[in-house]
Amino acid sequence: MKTSLFIIIVLLSGAFAGLIHGTVNFAIVEPYLDQAIGIENQNLFASGEEEDTTEFWVEYEGYRTWQKSGQILAGMILGISVGALFGIVFALSRNALPGNNDVKKSLILSGIMWLTLYIIPFLKYPANPPTVGDGETVVLRAILYLSFIAISGFGAVGFYQLSKKLKDNKKIIALVGYGVFISAVFIAMPENPDELTAPMDLVNEFRFMSVLGVTSFWASIGIILGLFWRKLSSQKETTHYN
Amino acid sequence: MSETRQINVSKSQVPKLAIIALGIIFAAGLFVVGFDQGHIFSLVYGEQAFTDMYLHELTHDMRHAAGFPCH
Repeated sequence: MKTSLFIIIVLLSGAFAGLIHGTVNFAIVEPYLDQAIGIENQNLFASGEEEDTTEFWVEYEGYRTWQKSGQILAGMILGISVGALFGIVFALSRNALPGNNDVKKSLILSGIMWLTLYIIPFLKYPANPPTVGDGETVVLRAILYLSFIAISGFGAVGFYQLSKKLKDNKKIIALVGYGVFISAVFIAMPENPDELTAPMDLVNEFRFMSVLGVTSFWASIGIILGLFWRKLSSQKETTHYN
Repeated sequence: MSETRQINVSKSQVPKLAIIALGIIFAAGLFVVGFDQGHIFSLVYGEQAFTDMYLHELTHDMRHAAGFPCH
């Protein structure tokens, strides 16, 4: 496959999957965001930090509309970004992935990346709706979250490399090794320092919808890139023998 | 007598240029959606960008929904 074609299908796959992610979020996550921001506003009024005036609501509607309208655009930017990483890993690992066609291979890889880069880090540092996060700790939380994702991702690659050196019946050791390694990291990493002040029902429902949204992305990118790859990867040459 | 044969050739080599380009896109996109607090626009608008946080607000809902730390 030509370099330009490879880059184009990777970016297109990411954009489509991101569009799906943004649309799903718009439908199922936005109501929880509105609810949480409503609580945040009430807290601002109660603390005297803001006043319940027309000016407040005019300003609020202005930036809230901007935030909501960004959901799908941000989904596409994030989709292109994570899709780029997915494309790199797929291209490098395609021959080693199980499955008898590119769609299956791509879906298996998206499942692995969903688990190692999203679900496991999510269990340690789950998504939170507005009102929960403290602005003072945002940098620390970003460092913790990114570090855990990186450790999990590089850990998975490391144990995969190890598994290649082991014979077939010992490959399971590498899988167990990753499990033990990431469990140790899970326990060792510091907790999210923020206190949960929002109602737990709201937080838990928001988290569930958030997982559905991100899962829609990983499922979509696996299917879409796999289909593009299957369609375009074989360079067919027709040779005439006389 | 003539005969036509079709040969499928799959090249598994991944060009370094593609990996570098996609790596840059990955890092830039992740920063915009997940972590920017006015940094990118501050290159043009200076300190005011950290107050306006246009990109932060634009990506705010996705940031929460995708699990990135926010406030």
